[in-house]
Amino acid sequence: MQSYNTHVKRIVLLLAIMALVGYGAKKVLTPSTFGEYGHYRGAAIEKEANRPLKHMTNYSCKSCHAFEWEIHEYGKHKTISCEFCHGPYANHVKDGKYVGRLPVKKGLEIKTLCIRCHNKEIKARPKDVIKTIKMPDHLKSQHVREDHICNQCHHVHAPLRYINRAKKVLGLLTGKEAGNEGR
Amino acid sequence: MTEAVHTGMAANILNYVFPNDLHVHWSLMIVLYPYITGIIAGAFIVSSLYHVFKVQDLKPVSRYSLLFALAFLACATWPLLNHLGHPERNWEMLITPNPTSAMAGFGYIYSLYAILLIFEVLFIYRPTMVALKAQSTGKLKTLYNILTFGSEDLSPRSIALDKKIIAFLAAVGIPMACILHGYVGFIFGAVKARPLWSSPLMPVIFLLSASVSGIAGVIFSYVLIQKYKGRPVDSKCVITLSKFLWGAFIICFTFEMLEIFQHSYLKTHHWDMIHGLLWGPLKTSFWRMQVGICSLIPLFLLGILIIFKVREKAFVFFATIASGLLLLQVLLMRWNVVIGGQLMSRSSRGFTTFHPAFFEKEGILPAILIMAAPLVILWLLGKIMPMWEDNQPSTEPTTRT
Repeated sequence: MQSYNTHVKRIVLLLAIMALVGYGAKKVLTPSTFGEYGHYRGAAIEKEANRPLKHMTNYSCKSCHAFEWEIHEYGKHKTISCEFCHGPYANHVKDGKYVGRLPVKKGLEIKTLCIRCHNKEIKARPKDVIKTIKMPDHLKSQHVREDHICNQCHHVHAPLRYINRAKKVLGLLTGKEAGNEGR
Repeated sequence: MTEAVHTGMAANILNYVFPNDLHVHWSLMIVLYPYITGIIAGAFIVSSLYHVFKVQDLKPVSRYSLLFALAFLACATWPLLNHLGHPERNWEMLITPNPTSAMAGFGYIYSLYAILLIFEVLFIYRPTMVALKAQSTGKLKTLYNILTFGSEDLSPRSIALDKKIIAFLAAVGIPMACILHGYVGFIFGAVKARPLWSSPLMPVIFLLSASVSGIAGVIFSYVLIQKYKGRPVDSKCVITLSKFLWGAFIICFTFEMLEIFQHSYLKTHHWDMIHGLLWGPLKTSFWRMQVGICSLIPLFLLGILIIFKVREKAFVFFATIASGLLLLQVLLMRWNVVIGGQLMSRSSRGFTTFHPAFFEKEGILPAILIMAAPLVILWLLGKIMPMWEDNQPSTEPTTRT
């Protein structure tokens, strides 16, 4: 039987049902470990901690690549991670076994890779922290051909290695000034 | 992205930008989010002017503005969901409510407001829908039956009860609409790392520009729809709306300028950056477009229309142009605030650059689709609920055969 407020009663009933369903859904859907330590799922910590490691340190690379590691360690690039240019460790070694080749940049790829950091256009690079250059102005000022690639003069693992060594031979730098990199 | 740094993009970056400030994360979608929310709040205020404050001149758009608000309300979260990497996780906000999250707070306010607006529409349309139910058959009849909660009672006692409920909902709706949009301003104002946003004036400016965009949206679309349908435009209604629009815009524009003046007079350590931003990367979009073309022209245009005696036809024509410009003004204001705030690097020395692409996930095409969606929804709503006073069915109980 309809009365003047049937629709209002039904709306109130609908809202009450919605509230109940919402409350029930919250009870059922809230993860069991939620709120154990804070406003998140407690089990998430364990899950995150058990993620397989993808990245390692330069010392992990040293165990096999001691020669490259040594050059890198005494060069200007010593603070840069091997993985920064070569890619993640996990793609290369898994459980102590070789699983895949990491990319080694060659030819023009080298130029792109170097310019990623050494581009003068990136203004947020103070001079005393990183040397930035503009191509081909840099090649012109060094009096070399414009199709030269960075690693024809710079050793990629220790950029000043050959340059300082040459300067030492020519007597432009003393052994001390040339530092470890120019050994 | 990396390529862009090496080619064209880098040329637009000014001075010293931290590498992690290079990319503008709050994209075009976050520009649309306050824009759409503002339109909802503004359009609701128009309907409240009639339903609560009894501004009789606004009767022709009283129902339309409510549906206009509802259609935009349906799409308010779309830009946010499109912006998120995991939009399906939005339900977590309701399952595990977090009282200290400012963004979740918007979700709660939005949900409450949505419930309120839907019920207000249903109550206002009840007599109409009862009459339509009697005239329709099949699925449409079932739909009307659901929307009227199966009640056909249109007795004076029942209507009186509805009126009380409508008055209550509309009255509660005004502070709710203000909170809804003021809250969006609060979200921006609360980001203390961004000197352009971090100001207590933010909620006020957002709320005022919301009123402007809502009223302008109602005038603009109302006149265009009536012209398109070949129906007469109620010029009295447009004149009254324009007066409210002018008033709201005067206050809104004053506050927008006062904020800049405040920054410039205080000259805090951020002023150099804000100055550099407004007279640098934002010079065109802020001073030339937002302030010059889209604020001063409608400000004087509406002023002239309202102060001087203008023929009604000319009034409607120019008020529509002013409304269109003001809709653009508010969109530009959202752009300049949201994007502008992120162009400043935290280095306090440099500015980055932002150009949305057409086809990307948060690009121009999705933005156009999201802005078109409320209009489609409005058209669909209009099929079920007559928007205009002149095509309402008679609510007299019909004799059924």
